[in-house]
Amino acid sequence: MVATGTWITQPVAFTSYQVTLGRIALVGLVALGLTAVILMGELDLSVASTLAVAGVVMASIDNLALGIIAALVVGLLIGAANAFLVVVVGINSFIATLGMLFLLRGLAFVISDEEPVRLSNIDAGISFGKPLIGEFTPRILLFIFTFIVMHLFLTRVRVGREFYAVGGNRQAARDAGIPVRRRIFTGFMISGLVAAGSGVINALERTAADPTAGSTVLLSSFAAAIVGGILLNGGRGSVFGTLLGATSLGILQVALTLSVVQVDVQNIIIGSVLFIAVISDPNSIRAVSGSVRSFLRGGSVLSKPSVDPKEATNNG
Amino acid sequence: MDNHRKESKITPFRVLSLGLVVAASLLFAACGGDDSDDSSSGSAASTATTTEAAATTEAAAQYEVFALLPQGNDQPYGTTYLPPMMAKADELGINLNITNSQYDADKQASECEVAVAANPDLIILWPAVGDTVRPCLEAAKDAGIPVTVTNSDVNPEDKDLTEAYSGPDTYGQGAASGELMCEFADGQDIGIIMVNGLTGNSTAIDRENGFEDTINEQCANVTILARQPGNWNKDDSQLAASEMISAVGAENIQGAYAADDTMVAGVIDALKARGIDPADMIITSIGNTFLGNPLVVSGELDGTVFQSSSWDGEHAVTVAHQVLTNDPAARIVEFMPSVKVTADNADDSSVAPEW
Repeated sequence: MVATGTWITQPVAFTSYQVTLGRIALVGLVALGLTAVILMGELDLSVASTLAVAGVVMASIDNLALGIIAALVVGLLIGAANAFLVVVVGINSFIATLGMLFLLRGLAFVISDEEPVRLSNIDAGISFGKPLIGEFTPRILLFIFTFIVMHLFLTRVRVGREFYAVGGNRQAARDAGIPVRRRIFTGFMISGLVAAGSGVINALERTAADPTAGSTVLLSSFAAAIVGGILLNGGRGSVFGTLLGATSLGILQVALTLSVVQVDVQNIIIGSVLFIAVISDPNSIRAVSGSVRSFLRGGSVLSKPSVDPKEATNNG
Repeated sequence: MDNHRKESKITPFRVLSLGLVVAASLLFAACGGDDSDDSSSGSAASTATTTEAAATTEAAAQYEVFALLPQGNDQPYGTTYLPPMMAKADELGINLNITNSQYDADKQASECEVAVAANPDLIILWPAVGDTVRPCLEAAKDAGIPVTVTNSDVNPEDKDLTEAYSGPDTYGQGAASGELMCEFADGQDIGIIMVNGLTGNSTAIDRENGFEDTINEQCANVTILARQPGNWNKDDSQLAASEMISAVGAENIQGAYAADDTMVAGVIDALKARGIDPADMIITSIGNTFLGNPLVVSGELDGTVFQSSSWDGEHAVTVAHQVLTNDPAARIVEFMPSVKVTADNADDSSVAPEW
């Protein structure tokens, strides 16, 4: 429907498909990494700051290859640190990664001396932003690659499939012998790695690393995951859903930009899409209709839940 | 595994609901672009082109121009920058397509890609982060689209990729504020606190350098005791100033500099909260805004530097029009005059605040 509407009103979004794909990849890449964490019922609010720190680390190292490796290692370490706080220390992932969000943002400013860090090899960055195969830039190709890897991991690899079990019912997963702690570590490290990869791509494409980068990425990537049907409580969703969410948001954003809709109105429209995506979920509909029935019968909604609270608490 | 059965279900209701919202949004978007003459709403969308607007203008729209801005009606400056820009565009027959990246460099880069794909006659760029616009400029050059810069100039090595710049001399503004500080210090040894703009922002960096270089050159008797970012925000600035007063001791501070009037208001409030009369301090700023000008008149702010948002918005379009019509051989540079405003001239109509 998004595609059809856009085709009618803004066909440029399709004739210049590489631009639209670039926008989808911008939002979708971080969202793919987040999916791994959300599937286990956890949150990672530090992805945007991880993106900023990784970019700054990469740009601060003159050797490009070494910089990229260092940035990706930093992403893995940040993911491990988040998991440590959640699994070992026992802090709620919302709070742990919120703290990490501020810590990393400050760290990005300190490392960059509070200024954007330009790449030592700007030409390499400009080349990176140009199409590599057909009209596909490296960002788009890396997004497709990450999507395939994540899809195979979550559907074909035992460790990945166990993410659903950890998110669906953690105690049952433990009882079934699944090493829940290790899975959570893995999920956070994937999220950190992918966010760092996004930071590297952004810094390369912009030829500089901005310590304030990613200010709109966090909410967009969560929105992509939610629109794509990932349940924030964990246990349900797929990277296909995330891809669908990122595609919908990406096409919508490009169409709205081409239509010269001001940013405030864009946010209203995107927020509306998000709400519709959530409330049109079958579980939400069952929960709401059950509550309405209960209310009409004169009973208390709170005292007589008509559905399983776990099912009713739907965020995606 | 049971989990696979729990994956997201796509129901007809869900598809229909989403589809209706998206279709309505896109229809609204398509119509929104044709409803631009409502400048009272202040909407950036309203700056867009319309058949009605074109009909009321002297010249029929001849040029398609994308304006990639980092702010719009979400900021006081943008609110008063846009209407003169729109009016001048209507007058000169320019269809303006305005975006607002909210100072997100990645978002602006993406908007630039969209703009290049739309193949306009020209792009007006206000860089969100000056260091990151090179690829955008290269892409526009490859597509044969001229780029002019407004408000904050690009880096020196990127200037040959642009046709013009109009806007404040941000370094010069900092220098002018520094000159005011030196004049008011009048040779006395004083210590000051410094509140800068958003960290990493090119205007913030230029103003800080302009101010600091000037006091280093012209009045070594002025010492910067502490500095912190105030993020162009009064509350952040008040907090930053309060922390600096605690850190260096109120008794050691005889003055303050803030990179704009919004933040200097925060500094003044922080001083008052500590029982310090700002009139006894030497305080300078930049802007001469609706907030700053009364502070100059009341004597709480010793001096500021006038920045005219209407000049800025209007000249962004006139300079773009020059490029479109004259194909100038050399890069056009038009600096906004950096007029110093003190108690002596704060009431003059020539420096009446605009934002």
